[in-house]
Amino acid sequence: MFREMTRRAFLARLAGGVALTAFAPYAMRMAFAQNATTPDLAPATVPAVQPDPENVLRKTIPSTGGNIPAIGLGSWITFNVGNDTALRDECAAVMAAFLDEGGIMIDSSPMYGSAQDVIGYGLARLGLPKSVFSADKVWISGGDNGPGQISDSLKKWGVAQFDLLQVHNLLSWQDHLPILQRMKADGQLRYVGITTSHGRRSDDLADIMRREPLDFIQITYNPQDRMAEQQLLPLAQDRGIAVIINRPFQGGRLTEYLAGKPVPDFAADIGAQSWAQLILKFIISHPAVTCAIPATTRVNHVRENVRAAHGPMPDAALRARIAKAVAEA
Amino acid sequence: MSEWWSYSLSDLLMFSPRVYYRLFEGFNTAFWLPNLVLLACGIVFALLVWRRIGLAGRLVPGMLAIMWAWVAWGFLWRYYTPVNLAAPWMVGLFAVQVGVLIGHAVRPKDLVFAWRGDFSSFVGAGMLFAAIVVWPLAAPLSGRAWQGAELFGSAPDPTIIGTLGMILLARGTWRWTLLPVPVAWCLISSATLWVMDQDIAWVMLVVAWLSVLGGWMDQKNGVTRGRLP
Repeated sequence: MFREMTRRAFLARLAGGVALTAFAPYAMRMAFAQNATTPDLAPATVPAVQPDPENVLRKTIPSTGGNIPAIGLGSWITFNVGNDTALRDECAAVMAAFLDEGGIMIDSSPMYGSAQDVIGYGLARLGLPKSVFSADKVWISGGDNGPGQISDSLKKWGVAQFDLLQVHNLLSWQDHLPILQRMKADGQLRYVGITTSHGRRSDDLADIMRREPLDFIQITYNPQDRMAEQQLLPLAQDRGIAVIINRPFQGGRLTEYLAGKPVPDFAADIGAQSWAQLILKFIISHPAVTCAIPATTRVNHVRENVRAAHGPMPDAALRARIAKAVAEA
Repeated sequence: MSEWWSYSLSDLLMFSPRVYYRLFEGFNTAFWLPNLVLLACGIVFALLVWRRIGLAGRLVPGMLAIMWAWVAWGFLWRYYTPVNLAAPWMVGLFAVQVGVLIGHAVRPKDLVFAWRGDFSSFVGAGMLFAAIVVWPLAAPLSGRAWQGAELFGSAPDPTIIGTLGMILLARGTWRWTLLPVPVAWCLISSATLWVMDQDIAWVMLVVAWLSVLGGWMDQKNGVTRGRLP
């Protein structure tokens, strides 16, 4: 009796599944037929204001005296879209808008999955614009593997050489830095740098900054993560090293948290229309900071980001108010 | 490599949930026929258990090996590897399981897949049901497109859940050798879903826990030591 009952129960539980599965081929074919070429993409709204690349704040690279726009474009997570053509096209549109607004620095890494391929895809679609400042990284154990990885990265980007190569997260930096310096001396590279994030290994980075001739460092800095103000930013100023800022929005968590909260009235005084612009102005107005590299998948956001480098910048007092407003929001 | 310890789990998440779920859309769109055929095999599994057909001892591990191989090559290698640097390691993990499944399909003393009416049977049947019917519904219920449904036999998570269900419905020696890889995947998948802030992340942990618990109870009750009368 027990076996009969349980068998029946077993059958009953599966009956719904059988019915659904029998229907599934029809349902899925219908769904595929309707949607295969129309992926669900978030519409990107383009602000009505015309791009004004001439008025983007440019900051000096101390080692050469050259200058670059203070807002760049990161690619961590946002550009790792694999072989999805619709998403690749979205990324290409973001790159186009970024360049249209006057941005030039695009940053990536072999650690970012398909991001390098996607940047290469975008650059090819945009006709390999000469204005791009290509910033990539070497991220592999052992110096012997570095040149091979750099060569792969160049192929993925579709460029002949990088403007900046950085040792990613200090990984095997003792091996990679001499190779990058040699490439620079041979004219295969314009700038050499090293990166970290989340405030990791700050003391190690400071030691390297004191000992090695670096053009750039890349670190995390925003109104919530201000540890860099204590040591790394002053040291960079002192040593004449340009500073790239990653995770300006804490990987999106900061702007997500601030979404819907009223932007302080004083933001209008410096032309900031959103929390994102206020945060970016806070970052790039630090005298040691050269460029911030927010990442996004949205055309309207990348335009908004670059436009944070327009207009007046906050002074020290206003920067303190921004940090306080973000903390208390 | 002392740098590695400084990474937290969330630092290792390289892709957005949107990209992750669109992988299944692309996979199902490109390979809808094999994916649906393999899903239908899940129904066959249920019938084999219900009817207690002797051939199941070789057919089920053999079919599961094909499913695991398809998930490894079709999904993990072709779709997941471009966005996840760890995916090739996962393919290796799946290859190990394919080998173990083939071993069970060809060994002289094969497993018996049958309803026993005990704890493991209920849990196993529930998992098979969840893998074939419930898990694919997660996509539309979450507001995602139907073609992004994760299907038993072609997507990793439901295939693992269904496999664990079949293992719990099995009887015979060396059955435990089928458990480590799916349980390990449950932990990997749960961690991935958790750092993507997906509420469903806890499910894979529960699946792993129930599988180990069921296996332990069967061991205690002697289920794994002999065949059904």
